[in-house]
Amino acid sequence: MTGFPWGAVFEVALRTLAVCGSALIIALVLGLPVGIWLGRRRFPGRSLLVAIANTGMGLPPVVVGLGVFLLLARSGPLGPWRLIFTPEAMVVAQVVIAWPLIVGITLAAVGALPADFHLQVRALGLRGSRALWVLLREIRMGLLAAVIVALGGILSEVGAVWMVGGNIEGQTRVLTTGVMMYVQMGRYEDAIALAAILMGLTFVLTGSLTAIQQTRRA
Amino acid sequence: MSEGAPLLAVRGLELVYGAGPDAFRLSIPSLELRAQQALAVLGPNGAGKTTLLRAMAGLLEPRAGQVVRGADRDVALVFQRPLVFRGSVAYNVELPLWARGLSGSRRSERAHASLQAFGIAHLARRNATTLSGGELRRLALARAFVTRPDVLLLDEPFDDLDAAGRESLSLDLRRVVDEQGVAVAMVTHDLRQALLLADRIAVLLGGRMAQLGSRDEILREPADPAVAGVVGMTNVLPGVVRSGGAAGLTRVRLEGGPEIACTARAALEAPVWVGVRPENVKLQAAHGDEETRLGRAVVTRILSDGILANALLDWDGVELRTHLVAGRGLGHTLKRGDPVRLSIRPEDVHLMPRT
Repeated sequence: MTGFPWGAVFEVALRTLAVCGSALIIALVLGLPVGIWLGRRRFPGRSLLVAIANTGMGLPPVVVGLGVFLLLARSGPLGPWRLIFTPEAMVVAQVVIAWPLIVGITLAAVGALPADFHLQVRALGLRGSRALWVLLREIRMGLLAAVIVALGGILSEVGAVWMVGGNIEGQTRVLTTGVMMYVQMGRYEDAIALAAILMGLTFVLTGSLTAIQQTRRA
Repeated sequence: MSEGAPLLAVRGLELVYGAGPDAFRLSIPSLELRAQQALAVLGPNGAGKTTLLRAMAGLLEPRAGQVVRGADRDVALVFQRPLVFRGSVAYNVELPLWARGLSGSRRSERAHASLQAFGIAHLARRNATTLSGGELRRLALARAFVTRPDVLLLDEPFDDLDAAGRESLSLDLRRVVDEQGVAVAMVTHDLRQALLLADRIAVLLGGRMAQLGSRDEILREPADPAVAGVVGMTNVLPGVVRSGGAAGLTRVRLEGGPEIACTARAALEAPVWVGVRPENVKLQAAHGDEETRLGRAVVTRILSDGILANALLDWDGVELRTHLVAGRGLGHTLKRGDPVRLSIRPEDVHLMPRT
C-alpha cells in the first residue's frame, strides 16, 4: 500500500458522492410527482404505466448504460451536447436507474393510503402546498425507503457509469469503476481499499437513513 | 333563529355514479339547513346518504343543481372512518387551523379548548394512531369543532361504538352543539340516533328523498310503506276503506278479515296501507270470552332481549307486531299460544295510499 494516492482517492470518493447525490435529487424531483400522480389517480392506461415503472425498477444498469451511451455518443442523437464521458452523462444514467425506483415505491406508498384520504384532507380545508405537505408527511416512511433503495442502487452500480463515463482519471472515475479497474490491473490491495471506502460510504448513508426511519416509527 | 337565509341549501341536486343500468343516481330537489337546526338523514346502506353529505360539504361536483352556502359560512365534515394523521392528537386537531393560516400559539390554544370540550385534553400529546375507537371519534369531533364551524356534517358519528360509548359521546356532542349553536346534519342508518340528535329527519331511499319532516311527522305519518319500514312502523297491512267521509271514524277492512277504525280520512273503497307502530298495539290478558273493541289475538312468537319483548300476534289471520317491556306484567308472563285482548287507538292508525 506504499505510495497509495490518497489525494486521488479522496477526489474519487467526493466525485462519487457528487454524481450519486445529484442523480438522487434529480430522480426525486422527477419521480415524486409522477409517483404521487400514479398513486392517486385512476384512469385508463394507468396499469400500463404502473407496469412500466415496476419493470423499470428491475432494469439492468448495463442496459441503461448502453441506452444512454447510444443516446449521448458523438454519433448519437444527443451527440452535439458533448456529454459523453463527462460526470453529467453519469448523472443521466443514474437518474434513469433511480427514477423508476422512486416512482414505484412512492406510488405504492400513496396507494396504501385510505381510499378517501385526499377527500378527507380537502374536507379539513387543506389545499395546494399544505395538502401536499400533509401527504408527504404521511408517506415519509415510503419516501425514506425509496431514497434508501435508490441511493443503494446507484452507489453500487458500475456498468452504466463505466460505459457513459469512461472511468477517466481526474474526470469521471468513481469508486466502483476504480475498483473494477484496479482488479483488472491486478492491484488487488488498491481495489480492496477503494471497496472498503465504498462500503463505508454506503453503510453510513443508508444506515443513517434507516436509523431515521426506525426512530420516526414510534 | 330559523328565519332568514339558510346556512346551507341543496337545490335540484343530481349526482350520478357509474353508467348503464347499474348506475346510482342521487336526486335531491330541495333540502335546507338553518341556524341551530339539527337534521338527520336516515336511510339504509346504499341509499346515498354519504354521497349527499359529501355533496353538501362541497367535496363532490354535482351533475346538476347546486349546494348554496351562506357567505363566510364554515362547514366541517366528519367522515364515517375519520382519518388519523401520523403524529400527536394535538397535531391532528390543529391541522384545520394550520390550513387556515393561524399562528402556532392560537392553534394550540384553540385545539386545547376543543379537546377539552370532548374530554380528551389529557391525550393531546399521545400518538393519534394508538387511540381507541371512542377516543378516535372524539378526536374527529374535536377536529371538526376547532374551526368553530357554522354547519357540522356527521357521517355515522357513532358507528362501531358500544352502547356506553355511544351514549356518552352523543351527550357530549349534544352539549357542544348547543353551546356553539352550530347547525348539524347527521347521516345514520340508526333510527334511535336520528331521534336523539335531530329535530328534523330526511328519509333517503335508493337515492331519492322519500320524506322530509319533523320527528313526530316521520314517526307517526310515514309517506309510504318503505319509509314506514325505516322509521320502525313495523305493522303495515293492506286494506280497503269501508266507511268514512264526513263525521265519525273511518273504518278499514284489512285483507284477511278484521276491521280497524281510524281518525284519518280516506275515500270510500280506496285501497290503503294501514300503518300502526308496534308500541301502539296495546295488549291485555284475555280471560273468558268477554267482548273487546278490536277483538282477540293469539301470541304466535315472543322474543325478548331483556329490555323489550317483541311479540308476534295472530289477529284473525292478520299478523301484528308489538313491543312489551320485558320482565314486567305481560312482558313477563306472556308466552306462545296465549290469548290476548287487543286495542289500538284510532288516532294511532295511519293510512297510506296503495296503488
